[in-house]
Amino acid sequence: MDFFHAHQAQHYLVLAAMLFALGAAGVVLRRNAIIVLMSIELMLNAVNLTFLAFSRFPLVPNSPMGSFLTGHAAVFFVIATAAAEASVGLAIIIAVFRSRTSVNVDEFDTLKL
Amino acid sequence: MNYDPNDLYGVLPALILSAGALLLLTSEVFLRNVKPAVLGPAPGPAEAAQRELPPGADAKPQAAPAPPDRRYQAWVAAAFAAAALWAALSRLGDPAVPLFSGAAVSDGFGRVVAAVVCAALLFSCIVAFSYLESLRATRGEFYALALFSAAGMCLLAQATDLIVIFISLEVMSLAVYALCAYLRRGKRPAEAAFKYFILGSFASAIFLYGAALAFGATGSTRLADVAAALRSGGPSGASALLYAAVALLASGFAFKVAAVPFHMWVPDVYDGAPAPVTGFMAAGVKAAAFATLVRILVSGFGDASTGPRGWRALVIWLALLTMLFGNLLAIPQRSVKRMLAYSAIAHAGYLLVAVASMASASPRADATQGLLFYLASYAATVIGAFGVVAIIERRLALSGAGDDLSSWSGLSDRHPGLAAAMSLFMVSLAGVPPTAGFMAKLTVFRAAIEAGLAPLAIFGVLTSVAGLYYYLRVVVYVYMYPSAKGEPVQGGRLLSAGLAIAGCALIVLWMGIQPGTFASLTQSAANAFGR
Repeated sequence: MDFFHAHQAQHYLVLAAMLFALGAAGVVLRRNAIIVLMSIELMLNAVNLTFLAFSRFPLVPNSPMGSFLTGHAAVFFVIATAAAEASVGLAIIIAVFRSRTSVNVDEFDTLKL
Repeated sequence: MNYDPNDLYGVLPALILSAGALLLLTSEVFLRNVKPAVLGPAPGPAEAAQRELPPGADAKPQAAPAPPDRRYQAWVAAAFAAAALWAALSRLGDPAVPLFSGAAVSDGFGRVVAAVVCAALLFSCIVAFSYLESLRATRGEFYALALFSAAGMCLLAQATDLIVIFISLEVMSLAVYALCAYLRRGKRPAEAAFKYFILGSFASAIFLYGAALAFGATGSTRLADVAAALRSGGPSGASALLYAAVALLASGFAFKVAAVPFHMWVPDVYDGAPAPVTGFMAAGVKAAAFATLVRILVSGFGDASTGPRGWRALVIWLALLTMLFGNLLAIPQRSVKRMLAYSAIAHAGYLLVAVASMASASPRADATQGLLFYLASYAATVIGAFGVVAIIERRLALSGAGDDLSSWSGLSDRHPGLAAAMSLFMVSLAGVPPTAGFMAKLTVFRAAIEAGLAPLAIFGVLTSVAGLYYYLRVVVYVYMYPSAKGEPVQGGRLLSAGLAIAGCALIVLWMGIQPGTFASLTQSAANAFGR
C-alpha cells in the first residue's frame, strides 16, 4: 500500500503496531501476572502513539472535529483510564497472591473443567 | 463546541446512579466502629478454616467489635436504581436528541437499554442483600461498585463517540472486575476476577486500537463522522484502515458479549463470582455491550455491512459458532452455575442473529425490537435463575459442599416456590411457550427470516432444541430425584430474595403471555437506526 509509504506518520504507525503486537504476545505468552499486566499497559501505550501520530500527521485535511485536539484529548483519557485499570489490576493480583503465594498464571487452575 | 446544561437531563439515569454510589461511599465515613469487617460466617467450629467458600479462612473467634450495621445500603442502592429506572422510563417516547455536540445521544434505544440495566440492578441488589447478609460479607463497597458499573452501562448505551464508548466501557468493566473479586479471601473469586480482568483489559485495548485506526482514517471519533467518511470514500487507503478498524472494534466487543472464539473467560468468571454478581453481570454487561456493538456497527459502519468485506459475514460466523459451541459445551456441565455460563454464551449467539439481521435496512426495525425484547427477557430470566442459585450456593457455602446438580435434587420438597420459579426460568431459557424466552426467540428468528437469513434461523432453532436437554435436566433433578440430606434455609432469610425472584418470574410470564405490551414500549426504540 503506497498510501502508507507516502505518509509521514508511517514510522510511528509501524512502531505502534509493533508495540501493540509485542504487548498482545506478552499477554498470551508470559506466565507472570505482573508482566501480563505490564503487557496490557504496553498495548494501551501503543494505541496512544497511534492516536498522536494520526493527530500530528492527519490523513484527512479538514476533519470535522479538528483532529489535532481530538487525538491529544483521547490520549489523556487513555492515560487516566490506564492508571485506573492498573490500580484495580494490581489489587486483584494482590488478592490472588494472598490466597496462593504465587503470581504464576499457570497455577491459576482452580476453576478448570 | 457548546455544551448545553440541558444535555445533562439526557444522561439522567447515569447521573442518578453515580450520585447514589457517591452517597453510599460517603455514608461509610459516618458509620461507627468501622473495623475491617469480618468476612465469611461467624467465627465458628474448626472446619471453618478449610472451607473454600465462604472465604472466612482467617476469621478468628476474637472479641472484635461488631461491624456496623450496613443493611441500609442495599435499600439505598435499590432506591437509586428505582429512581434511575423511572428516569429512563419517563422519557421513553420522546424523540431522539443528540447530546454534548454528538458525543452521546438520548434516544429510545438507549433509554430501553438503560431501563433494562436499572431493573437488573434493582433486582440484583435485593438478591445480593440476603446473600451477603447470610455470609456476613456486607462491606461498604459492594453496592457502590454495582451502582458505578450500572452508570457505566447506561452511558455505554447512549454513547456515540468512540472515546466516550471506551471510557464508559472501562467505568463498567473496572467496577465489575472488583465485584467479581468481592469475596476476596477465597481462591476462586480472586482467580475468576484475575482472568476476567486480564481478558477484559486485553479486549478493551483491542477495541481502543480499532478506535485509533478509525480516528486516523476519518479524523474524528464520532460515529456519525465515521459513517460520513465511509459514504464519501475518503482519502485513498482510508477504507482499508476502516475495515481493519471495524474488525478490531467488533472483536473487542465480541469478548464482552462472550461470542465463541472469545468466550474462554465466561465459564470461569461466572463460576467464580458470587451468584448475585453473576446474575447482574450476565444481564447488565450483556445488554450494554450488545447495545454498543449495534450502535458501532449500524450507526457507524452501517454502509460497510453487506458486500464481500462487510461485517455481516463476520457476525453471521460468530453467531453460528457461538450458538453451536455454547449449547454443545453446556451439555456435560454438572455445576448449574457453569451450565448457566455456557448458556449465556449460547444466548449471545441468538442475540448475534438479531445483530446480523440489522445489517440490511428493511428488517432493521423488527430486528431492533427483537434484540431489545431478547435482552429484557434474558435479563429477567437470568437474574431470577441466579437468584435461586444464590440461595442454593449460600446453603452449600455454609455447609462446605461443592456446587453440583445433586444438591438440587428434591428441592421441590423443601421449597416448592423456589422449585417452581427455577423450573420457569429454565423453561424460559430453553425457549418453551408461554414464557418470555419463547417470544424472544420467535421475534429474533422472524426478523432473521425477513432479512433473508433463514438458514441461520433454522440453525438457531436446531441448537436451541439441544439446549432443552441441559435446561430440563435441572428441572428433573428439582422435581424427580429424592431429596438429599440437608435442611431448608431459614424462612426469614428467604424473604427479600424470594421477593426479587417472584418479581422476575412475573416479568418472565408477563412477557411471554403479553408480548405486545413490551413491544409497544419499545416502539420508539425500533426506529433508532431507521432510514
